[in-house]
Amino acid sequence: MRLSRVCSLAVLATVAVASAQEPYPSRPITMVAPFPPGGIADLTARPVAAAMEKVLKNPVGVLNKTGAAGAVGMQFVATSKPDGYTLLLALSSISIIPEADKLFGRPPAFTVDQFAPIALISADPTILVVPADKPWKTAAEFVEDAKKRPGQISYSSSGVYGTLHMAMELLSHAAGIKLRHVPYAGGGPALTAVLGGHVDALASGPAVVLPHIKAGKLRALAGWGDKRVVALPEVPTFKELGFPDAEFYIWAGVFAPKGTPEPVLAKLRDTLRAAVNDPDFKGAMEKIETPIVFKQGAEFARVFEADAGRLAEGVRKVGRIETR
Amino acid sequence: MAETLQNLALGFSIALSPVILWYAFVGCVVGTLVGVLPGVGPLAGISLLLPATFGLDATRAIVMLAGIYYGAMYGGSTTSILMRIPGEAASVMTCIDGYAMARKGRAGAALAIAAVGSYVAGTVSVVALMLLAPPLASFALRFGPPEYFALLLLGLLVLAYMSSGSMLKALAMAALGLLLGMIGIDQMTGYFRFAYGVVELGDGIGVVPVAVGLFGLAEILATAGLAAPPQVIKPKLRELLPTRREWRESAAPIGRGTVLGFLIGIVPGSAHIIASFVSYAVERKLAKRPQEFGQGAVAGVAGPESANNAATSGAFVPMLALGVPSGPIPAVMLAAMMVHGVSPGPLLIEQQPELFWGFIASMYVGNVVLLILNLPLVGVFVNLLRVPYPILYPSILAFCILGVYAVNGSVVDVWIMLMMGGLGYLLRKLDFETAPIVLGVVLAPMLEMALRQSLAMSDGQYSIFVARPISATLLGVGLILITLGLRPLVTRGLDWRARLALAEKGDEHP
Amino acid sequence: MLTTDRVAGGALVLLALVVFWESRRLPLGSLRNPGPAYMPVALAAVLLCFGALLVVLAGKAPKLSTVSWTEWRHAVAIFGVCAFAALALERLGFRTTVALSLAFLLLGVERRGLIFSAVFAIAFAAVAFLLFDTLLRVPLPRGPFGI
Repeated sequence: MRLSRVCSLAVLATVAVASAQEPYPSRPITMVAPFPPGGIADLTARPVAAAMEKVLKNPVGVLNKTGAAGAVGMQFVATSKPDGYTLLLALSSISIIPEADKLFGRPPAFTVDQFAPIALISADPTILVVPADKPWKTAAEFVEDAKKRPGQISYSSSGVYGTLHMAMELLSHAAGIKLRHVPYAGGGPALTAVLGGHVDALASGPAVVLPHIKAGKLRALAGWGDKRVVALPEVPTFKELGFPDAEFYIWAGVFAPKGTPEPVLAKLRDTLRAAVNDPDFKGAMEKIETPIVFKQGAEFARVFEADAGRLAEGVRKVGRIETR
Repeated sequence: MAETLQNLALGFSIALSPVILWYAFVGCVVGTLVGVLPGVGPLAGISLLLPATFGLDATRAIVMLAGIYYGAMYGGSTTSILMRIPGEAASVMTCIDGYAMARKGRAGAALAIAAVGSYVAGTVSVVALMLLAPPLASFALRFGPPEYFALLLLGLLVLAYMSSGSMLKALAMAALGLLLGMIGIDQMTGYFRFAYGVVELGDGIGVVPVAVGLFGLAEILATAGLAAPPQVIKPKLRELLPTRREWRESAAPIGRGTVLGFLIGIVPGSAHIIASFVSYAVERKLAKRPQEFGQGAVAGVAGPESANNAATSGAFVPMLALGVPSGPIPAVMLAAMMVHGVSPGPLLIEQQPELFWGFIASMYVGNVVLLILNLPLVGVFVNLLRVPYPILYPSILAFCILGVYAVNGSVVDVWIMLMMGGLGYLLRKLDFETAPIVLGVVLAPMLEMALRQSLAMSDGQYSIFVARPISATLLGVGLILITLGLRPLVTRGLDWRARLALAEKGDEHP
Repeated sequence: MLTTDRVAGGALVLLALVVFWESRRLPLGSLRNPGPAYMPVALAAVLLCFGALLVVLAGKAPKLSTVSWTEWRHAVAIFGVCAFAALALERLGFRTTVALSLAFLLLGVERRGLIFSAVFAIAFAAVAFLLFDTLLRVPLPRGPFGI
């Protein structure tokens, strides 16, 4: 067994030397999706990887590294070699996890400054839905009722400090209301709960709830975006209703570990710009009803920072969920 | 009704075309291959192979996934019976009596019964799915956290009937399992519990590595070094098929398992895992010779296998009727549909009937293809047991590591399997059963979550459990079961006291 | 008298105490609003009771000394191989790790022939990788040089 360790060390040393001067990319690239197959991160990562593969003429594989609400996969990329061969497709939760770790005073699994943002791929505002048989017809009625009965109106979420929880918390703070939070283990169960009438409201990505709105089971009250959702032109935004702080998007972006050489990052930015214009990629995103919003470089960094700041504040405002 | 039949004909006309049949067949083969890996059941099988279907068109992809789903399920039973390695948490109960049967030279019979049981359960469930989906689905949605809690509590009661040894030992093991299930992020508050900085433990220790460790690895650790390795009675060809008596004894358990499994399965959530545990307990309770359970009772294979299959099919009821991702497997199936531009939802049946009925028909076709594929293979599988154990067990070990690693791509899972293997080995030496631990690990997070969600819904009022009709009914049933079970419990209590007296006597006069 | 049940019961009691101690950092909550430590503490209390009952009632169980440990060498070797595999899997890659583990078990533990062990180990690793990684796209770790 010792022999094998010596061998492996020798092998590793040779690899390190060999990889010093080779054109990028010269071997397969791994795109890590920190959520299981079939989730929105996975469904975005696969077409992105396929389109990148076409542009680079070099294999790009998707690896689902799942666990702990995405923290496992994100930590994996944060600590991997910054050579451009391990990339991360992350969702908004990337800036929530380290903040929640901080809140509980535990060593963070990773921090956001361990990543170099490459490009934003998509961004989808959440919308507020309630079961169709609930009395509120508009967001104003909902907020008014919530003010009258603090802590009585309940909502489901994909989990504590998850994206859907944060959206609702941002609204609560913007509108000065108090709602009752019932967390579920994932977005699917949270949707099932609101459809079953076990909770009164849910903040959700439009694509998942759209069929239920069309079927008349759910009613959309307002959206968290700065523009109305294309598929729901009659649903206002919270901004229009006078709650400018209630802004939230579920977005997906590509990151590399910090310290990746600038030429490699530049190559990746160019690749992604070409990739999002690929017709197959556009078709795939249309099918999962997720709008492509492409931003890169400094522009993405700005959006990312603003979003991270908003969410960090959100997490701090929620604080530790102590028992009453 | 006529419309349903017409639609079904439409579905079959799609599912029975040669190309589609080919995809169903490929799906079954591939599903069986992956399902043979320890720990890779239908959920992991579909998740792992989902990306491979992205290149196909919608109907082919869904048909192939249906095949993978059935194949993975059956592949899991095969390893449970032949090698005592659960393909997923739900096959733990198959491991017990299936493997005992294999040791007695009845591996072929066990495999055949499992195949036929799964087939019957699958077919009946598909028919039920077709006819009853809409009304059942809206009923299923009424299961919120309080109802779920009551249901899981009923599942816990099952423990009392599950063990063939001492009740106290079984309860102690269940408590241990429930406690192990507490590891991970507390889903209500976000606190890390007992994770000690290991991020991978955030989602808990995972049922798959626990089941594979406690059963598969522990078995290898305990038997590989025996002076006489497990001598499997080599089956003769004509002994492959079940005897008339075995058929007779498994008919009723298959029927009960199907109904029970389907009913548990339609409830949104992950409760379908407990279906096989509940079925095992029910069969043991109803058996004329309960002492045979654990020693190779054919009913202990037929019941849980059928229940498991029916439960996973039942989980499709809310998905197909309402477009709700009502469980982990339907959620992956929904994602597969979305990738192909099918927007799942309550309008699916009206807007894309060919897809809905094609799906129903392909589930049926997949089930038949699997039966045709697997019955002849029983002979091949059984012959695996002719491989000398000193060569077989290292291979099994390699597959255990491969399967457990592949499910999450996590080495931490391999470590958990290793720890659980050690624990299972020691417990075996001390003569403790490990199935209650698996049930505990399965139930603990769901039970705690449901309890605390209910209390969050009601602002701390426990009356929520009796104020809602379904949960009140379930709790009432539980109460009746406890009352009925109280008599043997009391006599057992006397038993303990008698034993205590004996023990004290023993201490006085060594 | 040391019986199997008594040892197991004692271990469970010990585990329950450890859980009590480790839960002290988590908020307990109340019956109407259980905190993160509530269920673990409650379950540990139950486990403590069962463990203690086992210790008290275990007089009739088989003595610890009657348990046979004849296979311990094999068990330790297999356990060690698994630990090696867990350590090596993502460092050396799937194929190397599995081939080495199998070769060690067949050659060192089961005393099979050198050529048989080597061929079997390498073929097994290669075929398993080809089947699951290459054909079925189940990603398995690769080591240095993509092996």
